[in-house]
Amino acid sequence: MEESSFWEVLAGFYESTVFVYGTTLLLIYAMLAIFSLIAISHFVKKNAFVDYGTLVASPLAPGISVIAPAFNEAITIISNVRSLLTLNYPQFEVIIVNDGSSDDTLAKMVDEFELQEVEFAYNAKIKTQEVKRFFKSVNPAYSALLVIDKVNGKSKADATNAGINAAAFDYFLCTDVDCILDKDTLLKLVKPVMEEQHKRVIAVGATLRMANSSEIDKGVVVRMKPPKKLLPRFQEIEYIRSFVLGKMGWTLVNSVPNVSGGLGLFDKEIAIRCGGYDYQSFGEDMELMFRMCRYAKDNKIDYAIRYIPLTLCWTEGPETLRIFMRQRTRWARGLAQLMFAHKKMLFNPNYGNMGMVVMPYNFFFELLAPVIEFTGIIYYIVMTILGLINWKYAIVLLIFVYTYSVMITTISILWDQITFRYYKTWREVLLLCVTPFLEFILYHPLIVIFSLRGYYFFLTGKKHTWGDMQRKGFGNKPETKAKVVLAN
Amino acid sequence: MGKILLVEDDEIMQKVIEKILIREGLVVDVARNGKEALVKLEENNFQYDMMITDIMMPYANGFEIISRVKSEELGKKIPVIIISSVGNEDSVMEGFKLGADDYLKKPIMAGELIIRVKRLLARANNVL
Amino acid sequence: MIREFFSELFSGELFRVFVYDFLYFPTVIQIAVIFIFIALLSTTIAYISILVRRYRGHRRDVRRARINPKIDQLITENIILNEGILEDKPIEDITINLEGFRKPLYKKRWVRQALIDRLMEYRKNFVGTIGELLRIVYLELELDKDSFRKMKSPRWERKVQALVEFTSMDFTIADVNILPLTNSKVRELRAEARHAYIKLSKNEPFKFFDIATEPLLQWDQIELFKIITSTKDIAIPNFARWVTYSSNKTVISFCLKLIVYYNQQAAIPAVVKLLDTKDHFLRADAINCIGKMKIEEVEATLVNMYNNQPLNCQIEILKAVGRIESGKYIDFLRQEFLHATDFDLRKNAARSLVRNEWMAKDVIQELMVTSTPDNQLILKHVMNPLIKY
Repeated sequence: MEESSFWEVLAGFYESTVFVYGTTLLLIYAMLAIFSLIAISHFVKKNAFVDYGTLVASPLAPGISVIAPAFNEAITIISNVRSLLTLNYPQFEVIIVNDGSSDDTLAKMVDEFELQEVEFAYNAKIKTQEVKRFFKSVNPAYSALLVIDKVNGKSKADATNAGINAAAFDYFLCTDVDCILDKDTLLKLVKPVMEEQHKRVIAVGATLRMANSSEIDKGVVVRMKPPKKLLPRFQEIEYIRSFVLGKMGWTLVNSVPNVSGGLGLFDKEIAIRCGGYDYQSFGEDMELMFRMCRYAKDNKIDYAIRYIPLTLCWTEGPETLRIFMRQRTRWARGLAQLMFAHKKMLFNPNYGNMGMVVMPYNFFFELLAPVIEFTGIIYYIVMTILGLINWKYAIVLLIFVYTYSVMITTISILWDQITFRYYKTWREVLLLCVTPFLEFILYHPLIVIFSLRGYYFFLTGKKHTWGDMQRKGFGNKPETKAKVVLAN
Repeated sequence: MGKILLVEDDEIMQKVIEKILIREGLVVDVARNGKEALVKLEENNFQYDMMITDIMMPYANGFEIISRVKSEELGKKIPVIIISSVGNEDSVMEGFKLGADDYLKKPIMAGELIIRVKRLLARANNVL
Repeated sequence: MIREFFSELFSGELFRVFVYDFLYFPTVIQIAVIFIFIALLSTTIAYISILVRRYRGHRRDVRRARINPKIDQLITENIILNEGILEDKPIEDITINLEGFRKPLYKKRWVRQALIDRLMEYRKNFVGTIGELLRIVYLELELDKDSFRKMKSPRWERKVQALVEFTSMDFTIADVNILPLTNSKVRELRAEARHAYIKLSKNEPFKFFDIATEPLLQWDQIELFKIITSTKDIAIPNFARWVTYSSNKTVISFCLKLIVYYNQQAAIPAVVKLLDTKDHFLRADAINCIGKMKIEEVEATLVNMYNNQPLNCQIEILKAVGRIESGKYIDFLRQEFLHATDFDLRKNAARSLVRNEWMAKDVIQELMVTSTPDNQLILKHVMNPLIKY
């Protein structure tokens, strides 16, 4: 008798905790939806009549170093480097860091861009694996290109750091060689930095999307399409929700937690001062962001991180479960690592928004969410076995969570369409709009499981394996004549 | 007499320059981006009397096209005018280093363009 | 139990479940039920909004796609290919046939807006006679009235649009219309009003520099720079005035850039005086300005003050010595190159040595042989023509 009442109390406690937790989460989502709508409308209004051509033509445009690490990317390297070289911006350089590729990535570049080894005075402000050689083109047409050859550091972080060390300008754009950028990326990302009144903008991010089914021709997105396959399509709506609703919402209150490693503009000085990317981290982009914020706070720099609601970068999302699992496990592990490393900032008012908003949100609602969901399912199962469940209520609650999540995702698709009419046909939008109905049932459980797997690896400290994602190669279209011409 | 390759991705510039040059009695071939320009050059075996090009374009920028033209035996003597909105000195220098003969900054004066085109064409003819 | 629930649900007793039982549900469940309906409703509304937005946008695109070629044709026929341009007549004597623009189609508001937008697009690309003629079309068709209507709108983004149109068309409006907007609370409107004022105001366009209390943002500087340097018949004042008297650091820094652009030798004394400022960012800007203008007389002062400067100013001094190219301070550069601990100082010293090559040839050769491998690498780096930075 005594025992059962103990279990009852525990169950009651659990239920009310989960209830408070769930309600808070739902409220946060609703709040983010509103915040992001405000931020997006403001962005649209204020940029409606902006002429980016003024910046292109200006001798005062701040210089930007574009840094893209490459590891075994021989299939796509040429067209993607070329696409980086044709970005619209008056003052920039492109730094490709060949991270000890075992294929002919480097040889291809040397060939195509007429590269020659140069003696480069390299200042290793951030420690990295050995940097072996530097290449510049003898053809002035490619004078903006710098290729660095380094010993493989088993991480994108290490390669990017080498690029940061060699960068000439005050801002750097971090991207991936396999990411496809909009040609106005630099113009649009640098604007928030230039129009900030009092704060120092340390990072600017924008939306990423799946490149999987979009038509891509030599590193240029010709036509945007939602992925045909289900798995990447889930990722597409997940990205839209996370960027357009999440980060755009957080930007309004200056609490953006992360600027994605696929595309982000950073203040070089601060990135270097806090030691660059951490090559041991599994989520190096968010990790750097945290340290940059921390550094800024510690040094009394009034900082801001900004997001713009435009899709400027397309990346290939994993199409097979195995690779997807690896990616998500890695992300989850990175998050756990990060939260553990910075636990002192949690609820620490000295860290301002970082300590009071970003950390608590990410700790409770990103890190703990899969754990709580998982225990919830176990609880349900136990209660079912014990016959203690009120099915009517359980199902009402389930329907509630389901419809709510569909609503949030649909709203983010709508917000996304405010800035630009992404996709061309109605069918494509519809295809995207019905995806949330399946997400909850098919995709979400996967995320929970893979996250738990990541946490497990974090706790047990499983060895780091740097999953080299197999790329299919963008734009492998029938060779046109131009290719032959371009190939010299 | 006078066949010109116009490489320009801005629709308005494209049309207007084409019209102006045609009125001057010149033959104009238009390429809308770097890729098209290279295809046109190859197809026509570099048989152009002049090339007018923008710098910032998708696929291959103007510098690359100029370098390509100037590296070719047949293309070497084609006079090149750059029309670009990029105003910083570096970019202008780059253009000249690659062998461009003239550099016009947007917004341009149509009259000036015509005079420069004619002068370059005349000079090229004299050399021949 | 599940079966029970579903049989209840599907046996036409839905009503009883959700309305009758509803009252007896615990509060949580009641709220959940209400929210299910709210969520369903919101989702539906979202769908409809997407539909409507896309349809509207699509319609606008289609319309524009249809009208723009027509506008282009009219502009080409009557302006670009206007016989008057060929004959080199003065603008006043060129006649533009506006018949085409006066068709009933061009009375519609959206068509007029499309026309304004197109004219602005053309003016972005063309100046000179064509640019002037485009402006005349804007005036003759009284499109300025459309712009004025936007100016009167309570919405600030409309006002911005109107200002952009006026500035682009060089349409002079009375100061009283712009001045109040320059104090607007909305930054974008304020900035646009400033630009319009500088471009369109006939009296004292640079008055703003006197009264600007808020920082001049980098973005605004870019726009201002363009407007100031591209507007014809604007009286360029001596910017030294603000370098000396302004209390706004961003205004001073911006004026330094303008001094360089216009090579205002008369402003040099004011710039030199600025070297004493406490703000080291501003001081660095002043040094930069002196270097870019190659003021040899100040070089000695710069070198003398070098040792007690923060890093950013030291770098600027090294750059300035390189830019001035007097060849007088080779020893100083050599010293810095050999003994500075900071990498950037050494690199800039090396670069400046190379820029002073006409006097420093021997020194460079000597350093090439005698300095440390690290320093040799720096020298090779800066001497390599392939490496720009």
